[in-house]
Amino acid sequence: MPERSVAVRARSRGGVPSSPLEEFEHVYLRNVDVVMGYFARRCRDPQTVADLTSETFVRAADGFAGFDPRRGSDRAWLFGIATRVFARHCEQSADGREAAARLGGYRSLDADEIEELAERIDAEREGAALMQRCEQLPAVERAAVELVDLAGLTPKEAAMALGVSRVAFRQRLSRARTRLREGA
Amino acid sequence: MSRFTEHLWRDLVREHGARIVHTDRPEPARARGARVLRRPRVLAGSTLVLAGVGAVLLVALSGPATQPAFAITTNSDGSVLVELSYAQNQNLPQVNQKLAQMGTHEQIGIQMGTGPAPVPGPVTCKPAPGVSGPTVRVLNGTNGTEVIKPGESGDNTAEGTFHLVSCGVYPENTSLNTLRGYTGNTGNTGG
Repeated sequence: MPERSVAVRARSRGGVPSSPLEEFEHVYLRNVDVVMGYFARRCRDPQTVADLTSETFVRAADGFAGFDPRRGSDRAWLFGIATRVFARHCEQSADGREAAARLGGYRSLDADEIEELAERIDAEREGAALMQRCEQLPAVERAAVELVDLAGLTPKEAAMALGVSRVAFRQRLSRARTRLREGA
Repeated sequence: MSRFTEHLWRDLVREHGARIVHTDRPEPARARGARVLRRPRVLAGSTLVLAGVGAVLLVALSGPATQPAFAITTNSDGSVLVELSYAQNQNLPQVNQKLAQMGTHEQIGIQMGTGPAPVPGPVTCKPAPGVSGPTVRVLNGTNGTEVIKPGESGDNTAEGTFHLVSCGVYPENTSLNTLRGYTGNTGNTGG
C-alpha cells in the first residue's frame, strides 16, 4: 500500500488563513525576507541584522491585534514597525549602548546563520550602494526611494508605512528621484 | 525558509504563539472556514469529547464545512489525543505548534496509506529516541478512516479513502523532512 506524507506543504501555503496564528504565519512568510533585506542594507553585522529583524517581528506579534488588513497591507504595517525599530537602534547606538542591551538580548546566531546572513548582506550591496547615493537626500526622501525602489512597496503602502499622505509621499518620491538623476 | 528565518519563526511561536492564537482579528481577515467554529455540528462534536476527558482544545477549523481541521485532547492520565483530517494536511505544523503551546514540547510525524483502516480507532505514536513526554495517539478522520471527496482535498492530497499507517513523536525541533520520512508505530493499536 503506498504511503503518503502528511507534512507536505508545511509553510508554502497561500490559502486563506483559518486562525490568527496561521494568519500571522502568512504575514511572516510574505515579509520576513524583505524586512531582513531592509536591515541588511543598513548594517554590515549579521547579528545586528538578525536582532533588528527579530525585534520587528516580536513587536509585530505584540501588536497583531491592532493590525487591520482593511486599512493597509501587512508589508506597509511591518515596514512602519521596521523603520521605528531602526530609528531606535540608531538613537541607542549613538548613546553607545551595547547591542544586547538595546534589543533585549536576542539569542546569538550559530555559525551557519552568520554565514547565511553575511551572504544576504553581500547580496544587498547594490541596494546599499543606492542608499549611499541617497545620503545627500533628506531622510524622508531617502526613505521614499528605499521603500518603493528597493523594498518593492507600492507608493500607497510606503506612504502608510511612513505615516504620511499619499500625495505628500508621491511628491517626496518624485523629488528624490529627480535629485538622484541630477546627481548621477 | 532560511535557517535563521526558520529559527526566528520557531522562537516567535514559542514565545508569542499562545497570545497570537487568542488575538481577536478583524472579521474579513479570517478564513471562511474559521466561522465553522460556530456551527452546531462542530460544537456538538467538541462537547462529546469533553464528556470523557480532562481538557479539550478545539483548534481552528478549515476546509470541509463539517469537519474540524484538528482537535487536541489532554486526557486525565496525561496522554494526548490528536484528532486530525488528512484532507486538511496543512494542519500538521499547526498541530505541532499547538502541542508546543500546550507545554508538550514534542511534535508528531505521521504517514498515511490508501484504503480504510484495517482496525478502527486511534494509532499510538512511537516515541523517537530521547522523547519522554506523554503518550500521544492520533485519530485520523472518522474512527481511523477518512474519505476525501472531489473538491475536498485542499489541493494537497489525492481524493479517495485514507488511513493512518504510522505515527511517531519527535523532539520539538525536528525538521519537517524528518517528519515526512518517519515510520513509527504501524497500524492501529486499538487504544
